Amino acid sequence: MSVRRRKKHLLFATFEDFDEARDVVSELKVLDLKEMVVENIELYSPIEHPEVEEILGEFHQPIQRFTFFGAITGAVCAFLLVAAAAQSMFTVQPQGGKAVIPLPADIVVTYEGTILFGVLSTLAAFFIYSGMPHRLRKYYSQKVSEDQIGIEVQMLPENKEKVRAVLEKFGALEIREVTQ
Amino acid sequence: MTDYSMKDIEWARINKDVLTSLESPRMAFWVVLAVCAFLVLCGAAAEAYQYKEGLGVALMDRPHFWQLYISNFIFWIGMSHSGTLLSAVLLLTKADWRKPIYRFAEAMTLFSILTAAIFPVIHLGRVWNLYWVLPYPNERTIWPNFRSPLLWDASAIFTYATSSALFLYVGMIPDLAICRDNAKGWRKKLYTTLSLGWMGRAREWLAFRKAYVLMGCFLVPLAVSVHSIVASDFAMSIVPDWHITSFPPYFVAGALYSGCAAIITLFVMLRYVFKFEAYMTTEIMDKVAKLTFAIAMVWNYLNLSEYASIWYSNDMFEHEVLIQKFIGPYWPVVWGMLLCSTVAPFAMAFKKFRHNMWGMFWLSLVIQLGMWLERFQIVSPSLASNHEPWTWAVVWPGTVQLTLTLASFGWFTMLFLIFCKMFPSVSMYEVKEMVFHRREASSRSEMEDLEKVKNDMIKTEEGLA
Repeated sequence: MSVRRRKKHLLFATFEDFDEARDVVSELKVLDLKEMVVENIELYSPIEHPEVEEILGEFHQPIQRFTFFGAITGAVCAFLLVAAAAQSMFTVQPQGGKAVIPLPADIVVTYEGTILFGVLSTLAAFFIYSGMPHRLRKYYSQKVSEDQIGIEVQMLPENKEKVRAVLEKFGALEIREVTQ
Repeated sequence: MTDYSMKDIEWARINKDVLTSLESPRMAFWVVLAVCAFLVLCGAAAEAYQYKEGLGVALMDRPHFWQLYISNFIFWIGMSHSGTLLSAVLLLTKADWRKPIYRFAEAMTLFSILTAAIFPVIHLGRVWNLYWVLPYPNERTIWPNFRSPLLWDASAIFTYATSSALFLYVGMIPDLAICRDNAKGWRKKLYTTLSLGWMGRAREWLAFRKAYVLMGCFLVPLAVSVHSIVASDFAMSIVPDWHITSFPPYFVAGALYSGCAAIITLFVMLRYVFKFEAYMTTEIMDKVAKLTFAIAMVWNYLNLSEYASIWYSNDMFEHEVLIQKFIGPYWPVVWGMLLCSTVAPFAMAFKKFRHNMWGMFWLSLVIQLGMWLERFQIVSPSLASNHEPWTWAVVWPGTVQLTLTLASFGWFTMLFLIFCKMFPSVSMYEVKEMVFHRREASSRSEMEDLEKVKNDMIKTEEGLA
């Protein structure tokens, strides 16, 4: 039996500045509390606005955990590499006076391994939590990368007009309607 | 005092100005690129000649097995320091003046490492055996010797090159999206691929900022470790004038110093070639110059303390090398270094000089020359009068070595200019952030002023009443 995917109904609007966009999101949230009209809201901006979490809610992005465990993995792997190489040398060329585990060398390489794996795992976490790479959405406006703020609202088709009214009330520069 | 300059720049103009730099630079850009390409060709010819005839043409003989190639290697590794390190430090300390200049500084780091990495290969002579340094056992199951600082060097430089390249790339993703939105043809395809579908969504920005700051945290200690390890190549040996405890911090300070000078050179060059006067302002140059001056003083202190510790060590070999440096055959190099890197930077103590772009440009070149001489005077004079007097020999670099040195400058500049033509050398989104925050701070300050005037008026009225 084939599963039919439910169609998404979206409105994508652009605004002059972040303050307007913040007001729109607040209004939509109030409307949602009253009438449950909004399914999801996304905000697009040309620069970072850390305060966005105050209006959209907190994003769960534990990137630092990846960094931490990546760095530990790197440290362990690098330490073992040097230690194993020393054992291999020791068994092939047995000679006195040499450390079984050469700590000074191990510390240096472990340090570098920690950093390398820490950076790589941070990058991996960035891709995982940002949802990248992905295709550019058809309704994406190039103005968002220039100087405007974009708001994408997902809702049921019967609530479209209510959402549109809010977007227009706060002076949306352009509204795009999408069904996908 | 809060700096409100640049607050009136329109965001759309920032995009336009930077994107224009990808299309139509001044004529000087093409002239410099052609000269660099010519130098690289000369270097390729010298390299081919060296492979054909052997390393003897590079005058590498006892005791000068480490000469100009290794000096160049240290010079370029040093140059790579300031870009990423300063960018990361200024990012973590939230210094907003870094924003218009960090991109090209990071690119400088990457291309300096790529240039530096060429020299051990040239120095090896047998480039086809390069894979021997990789950490895997050979046919006799003998593994590379991790106890050698040279292998630490390889691991540190690999980590630094990878991390710096990723730091540069991640920091560039939002700008690549801007380029994608405005480009056509093959450029559009390139930027679309590289921007990975960035759209500026809130989740993207938040993940980006967290990841970027975390990477910055790693890069600061990494950059310090890299040059410390390069210093270990020398300090771990018993050659007089190399076996010094203060070598790692001395190398790190020298690296920062030459890197800062290189940032100034490229700052003025890009400002002129790409007409970035609105973004690379005299205020930013002033801050970079002050930083360079401070680092110059740290380097001078470490240099003098190195001389002092040798002088008071009571070691006759160390004494001999130190005296020979100042009055021996290499005296022009040592005195030249002191003139260029110790005396010249005092010009930066004067505000008028710091605000003179072309004055700073020439001074930065002088400092870099001094730092290049510093690398040479670390390597050659120490080898020329080592523990074994019967091997003493004064050798000056020959044509092949000098040609390859010049070619390395051409190679670096060529890569850098191509980068600037392909990718935005000024971070558009960060400059927008800077403008945004300065605008907000300015309007906040105006409001506070108005409030103050209002309160004064109320007090006056109350007094009159």
